Amino acid sequence: MTCLIVQSDKTLLLEVDHEQADACRRTIAAFAELERAPEHIHTYRVTPLGLWNARAAGHDAEQVVDALVTYSRYPVPHALLVDIAETMARYGRLRLVKHPVHGLVLESSDRPVLEEILRSKKIQPLVGARIDDDTVAVHPSERGQIKQVLLKLGWPAEDLAGYVDGEAHPIELREDGWALRPYQRQAVDGFWHGGSGVVVLPCGAGKTLVGAGAMAEAKATTLILVTNTVSARQWKHELVKRTSLTEDEIGEYSGTKKEIRPVTIATYQVLTTKRKGIYPHLELFDSRDWGLVVYDEVHLLPAPVFKFTADLQARRRLGLTATLVREDGRESDVFSLIGPKRFDAPWKEIEAQGYIAPADCVEVRVNLTDSERLAYATAETEEKYRFCATTDTKRKVTEALVRRHRGEQTLVIGQYIDQLDELGEHLDAPVIKGETSNAQREKLFDAFRAGEISVLVVSKVANFSIDLPEATVAIQVSGTFGSRQEEAQRLGRVLRPKADGHEARFYSVVARDTVDQDFAAHRQRFLAEQGYAYRIVDADAVLAGEDV
Amino acid sequence: MTTSRERETQGTRRTTGGAAPRTLAEELRARPDEALSGLLRARPDLLNPVPGDLTQLATRAATRASVVRALDRLDRFALQTAEALAVAPDPCPYGTLAGLMAGDAAEDPRVVRELPRAVATLRAQALVWGPDDRLRLVRTVRELLAPSPARPSPTGLGPTVAEATAGMSPGRLQELLAAAGLPATHDPVTAVTALTGLFEDRTRMAALLAGAPREAVAVLERLVWGPPYGTVTADPAPHLRWLLDRGLLLPAGPGSVVLPREAALHLRGGRAHRAPEPVAPELAPVTEHGARLVDATAAGQAFTALATVEELLADWEAAGPLVLRAGGLSVRDLKRTAALLDVPEPVAAFWAELAFAAGLLASDGDVDERYAPTPAYDEWLDLPAEERWTRLASAWLAATRTPGLAGTKDARGRTLSALGPDLDRAQAPEVRRRVLGLLAGLPAGATAPAEALQARLAWERPPRGGDDTRARLAHWALAEAELLGVTGRGALSAHGRALLEGSDPATALAPLLPEPLDHVLVQADLTAVAPGPLHRPLAQRLGLLADIESKGGATVYRFTPESVRRALDAGQTASDLTAFLTAHSRTPLPQPLLYLIEDVARRHGRLRVGAASSYLRCDDETVLAEILADRRSAPLRLRRLAPTVLAAQVPPDALLEGLRTMGYAPAAESAAGDVVVTRADAHRTPPRAAPAPVPEGPPAPDATLLGAAVRAIRAGDLAATAERRPRPAAPADGGLPRTTSAETLATMQAAVLTGAAVWIGYVNADGAASQRVIAPVRVEGGFVTAYDHTADEVRTFPLHRITGVAELADEHA
Repeated sequence: MTCLIVQSDKTLLLEVDHEQADACRRTIAAFAELERAPEHIHTYRVTPLGLWNARAAGHDAEQVVDALVTYSRYPVPHALLVDIAETMARYGRLRLVKHPVHGLVLESSDRPVLEEILRSKKIQPLVGARIDDDTVAVHPSERGQIKQVLLKLGWPAEDLAGYVDGEAHPIELREDGWALRPYQRQAVDGFWHGGSGVVVLPCGAGKTLVGAGAMAEAKATTLILVTNTVSARQWKHELVKRTSLTEDEIGEYSGTKKEIRPVTIATYQVLTTKRKGIYPHLELFDSRDWGLVVYDEVHLLPAPVFKFTADLQARRRLGLTATLVREDGRESDVFSLIGPKRFDAPWKEIEAQGYIAPADCVEVRVNLTDSERLAYATAETEEKYRFCATTDTKRKVTEALVRRHRGEQTLVIGQYIDQLDELGEHLDAPVIKGETSNAQREKLFDAFRAGEISVLVVSKVANFSIDLPEATVAIQVSGTFGSRQEEAQRLGRVLRPKADGHEARFYSVVARDTVDQDFAAHRQRFLAEQGYAYRIVDADAVLAGEDV
Repeated sequence: MTTSRERETQGTRRTTGGAAPRTLAEELRARPDEALSGLLRARPDLLNPVPGDLTQLATRAATRASVVRALDRLDRFALQTAEALAVAPDPCPYGTLAGLMAGDAAEDPRVVRELPRAVATLRAQALVWGPDDRLRLVRTVRELLAPSPARPSPTGLGPTVAEATAGMSPGRLQELLAAAGLPATHDPVTAVTALTGLFEDRTRMAALLAGAPREAVAVLERLVWGPPYGTVTADPAPHLRWLLDRGLLLPAGPGSVVLPREAALHLRGGRAHRAPEPVAPELAPVTEHGARLVDATAAGQAFTALATVEELLADWEAAGPLVLRAGGLSVRDLKRTAALLDVPEPVAAFWAELAFAAGLLASDGDVDERYAPTPAYDEWLDLPAEERWTRLASAWLAATRTPGLAGTKDARGRTLSALGPDLDRAQAPEVRRRVLGLLAGLPAGATAPAEALQARLAWERPPRGGDDTRARLAHWALAEAELLGVTGRGALSAHGRALLEGSDPATALAPLLPEPLDHVLVQADLTAVAPGPLHRPLAQRLGLLADIESKGGATVYRFTPESVRRALDAGQTASDLTAFLTAHSRTPLPQPLLYLIEDVARRHGRLRVGAASSYLRCDDETVLAEILADRRSAPLRLRRLAPTVLAAQVPPDALLEGLRTMGYAPAAESAAGDVVVTRADAHRTPPRAAPAPVPEGPPAPDATLLGAAVRAIRAGDLAATAERRPRPAAPADGGLPRTTSAETLATMQAAVLTGAAVWIGYVNADGAASQRVIAPVRVEGGFVTAYDHTADEVRTFPLHRITGVAELADEHA
């Protein structure tokens, strides 16, 4: 008996307790995307993007087919093998290369394919003169566009046109008393050899350091795009600490500051600010001869940034993310514009290596009182979630949980400001929300880090990229509906390795028999699929002080 | 021509001596019984009905419909041979034929080697007769294959010099002879012979062509392999004039010229075909997958096939799709089914048709007709997997239904629907068997590309007139065989081989099918994975309790509140479910799942719904208590729902009546809220037989029938030849002419050829007999279309109403 079962919908089921499972996982991870990793059987999915990622990484169809046939417990349907071979053969028939005379050209090893795509109305405006039967000139400005369109047509082009070096700038990693972890090193190498692409690492696994490592390889001016200002500060802090860069060499380009330095950290928000129908801050992309562009949290990349990225194809691009799953389904744009996946490591594996803290996820089910239930039943549809997510009963349970973990660094995370204010009042804890000034935020975070305050109530501003190393308990009271993304990010808050190896706790307080519960189920699915099993406890048990 | 046709088919009722046969009938008479059996086996349509004697047999074998059918079944080389004979002189010596096939140089030894086989085939099928030095092609075959301006010959050859110059003025012929350097003659026949002789003489012709202008040679090269027709202007260019002057291009109509056959043959080196294909194309390249891999893959697919058919029918048993008024499945239902099975629509159509062909699925014949499983489905379900597969595969092998056609349009532009009418294709089983037969000819575990198989099929039965039906059928057969698991990776599996050979595939298949499991793995993300096929009861119960998320070797189930509710609705309790899962899970049940079940169970059934036919309401509780206590109220089947409400199981009028007899004075309330609960039942059609295959023509005759037929024909023939009735003459005194139907048919066909008028006796639909003089134009499908001299119009006469036919006396002709 072997460990893999190939399903007709192109998912692969891997029995993890099997002795061959490890070898098998390594083989299939090259071409299949890990979709779910619960405790016994992991699900991988074979998608065209995954197969092309594998092609980009130098695997061929024969290896894929061979892996499936070798490890599959049951005969693999022939049609599926044929389909895999055909899909993989589509990658690389078209290549973008630099021609010594004609500049950027699209080259084909399969003339009919070239003829087919040249007939497409979407391709015609992007290409120039036909150079010979197998080659056509491409406007250099359309390098990203054409890759996007070709992928949509099902003939992804291999981009071999190379990169500009950009303006050189000395950057070194300063590995004093620390070193890149092996997987971080692999990620940097994988990216650098591939040229451009995406590195997938779980929250807390040190994506910033992968970025720093890439910069140290590029040794060139770098533009870093991050989600918000706090995250920008975080990056700056890390870079100053970990590399030879000084404060003065790193600029921040955000709503408040507009510095352009050899290394510039910009927020998505400022880039996508639109004034009088134009994006005034776009010139940032052209303000220096950037040698590397780093995209933090690629899965959140806003649509306009894709558009700018299309024009940046001659520069090296590194995408960092915890997951390739996008709620808006634009994975293919990530593939064509930023690049193929260059490295990924499953969450649990890094946990097993001890780089992220193990976490215990607990869903606390709160029973609404009769009057609350009646009020919930009569609430307007759009108010329903808000109502059940902010009930008094939840507050009581939250207080009980905070009491239980007295002395531990605790974060209370929620969506609704008035709920947070109320909680802050009852818990006698400071609240960080959108209107809190950055200076105030930094101050509170520092105090929290130092252990001067042990409970912090935060709104969704803290979802991303802030580093709270010693938070060991997170209590989620409400969220942005069913966002799986947010759940993963919030769990990430407590996953940083603890000094004492203490296990982290993640509580999600959920109102029973309401939409809150449905949303919670949806949110948790991503984590459950990553192997984080939720336990469910009743609020009554928490209130009664029972051991949970 | 009449005479030749008569000679060919009409029995001349003279016993043949040792001399060469003069007619086809005569030759058939001389053939041994086995040869006749062979003829009837190869052309079974001749047996229907059994011909009375050999004359009739010969006549029937020369009818257009039968000849077309026979030609359709010839392999490419035999057909090429027949085509060559059609452009050769009649009769044709074997040597001439060999020259046409192999060319003057006879460079292809395979042609020389294979030609006797091709001629033997044609002879065995009664398409060619006569001794080797005088091979004769049956006239109908010649008509079908010989070139005419409307229908160019497949050889690409044009008419002969004699044919092309018919009607040319003698003066023009003289000019041709002069230009070609031949002695002048006034006799047109001699002139044509001289010109033909020149074109056929390789040496003299080569000398003639050596003097041709370069452009003229180019023109000839363009025409040589056909089509041989070209156009010229009124004032042709000098090089065309050169060709026209020498008769190398002959006028074929206004502004059009043709390259005469003899000249073309000279240019072709004597070959009638550009590329004779004496041997079947090889099935290459052969790919070896290994028998074990092939068998395992095919068995895996066979198992999938069973699961798919079960899934389809399980879905349709609750609420099967409606039958379209014209029959068949609507496009929407097909789409839905395809989505359900997670396959493309053509594949969904195949599974539905497969279940239909196996008699597991039929229309129920109700007023709003629906498709539903048949009772046979229930029996089928109880069989072991390998026998279930055998049932499906045997039905598939013999079926004439072709699901591949579903979704295409017929000749009238109507879309053909799956399970609908007009999906039967008579050749389908034969093609299917042949395709599998070709695969069976390869070593076990080996396969050849589909193109090679198609090329072989096209050689064995060349498609005529752009008809690619067989190629499409073969394409579908290959795809379906793979889907069904008859083949694996394109190679015939062991069980597929057994199926084809008619032995029981079950024994070969059984050990390859996976053993059903009795456990699943339940995980914290609310999924359960069955790492293989499950025992049916387990699978059914789990399918009720959880939604299937992914299928294949394993099955992934997902527990959702809806799925758990479904199980509770089906009468199970939370503890049942937990116990069931605990019993079958290899791993401890994850806590979220237990919570899910409990949560749903807690809410389940809090609201109660029931059916009552009427109710009884009274503000005074004691009155209701009184009524309940009264024994006379028992038939009303009252039940107390609330202190002031009783529900009754009888209709309101019966309730009123009952209460009145008990001495109360109830009043009726306007009816509202009468709940009727319907439950979907597993729906079955009445017993239905599986659709019988619709074969083309009569079934292949077996040995007994053949023997009997041959004896009957011999007996009839003996009777016909021994007793020499005088030939019926034209009726003398108003009596209707009387001839046998075979003679009538033969005379009519002859008259069509000659354009002669004949005298017929005719009985119209009212039974009134009359005599008519008609000039037959066409004889087809049992009807004669003819110009009726008597009525002065073109009419169609059913052959069976013609009592007889006679040639006209001279004054009519």
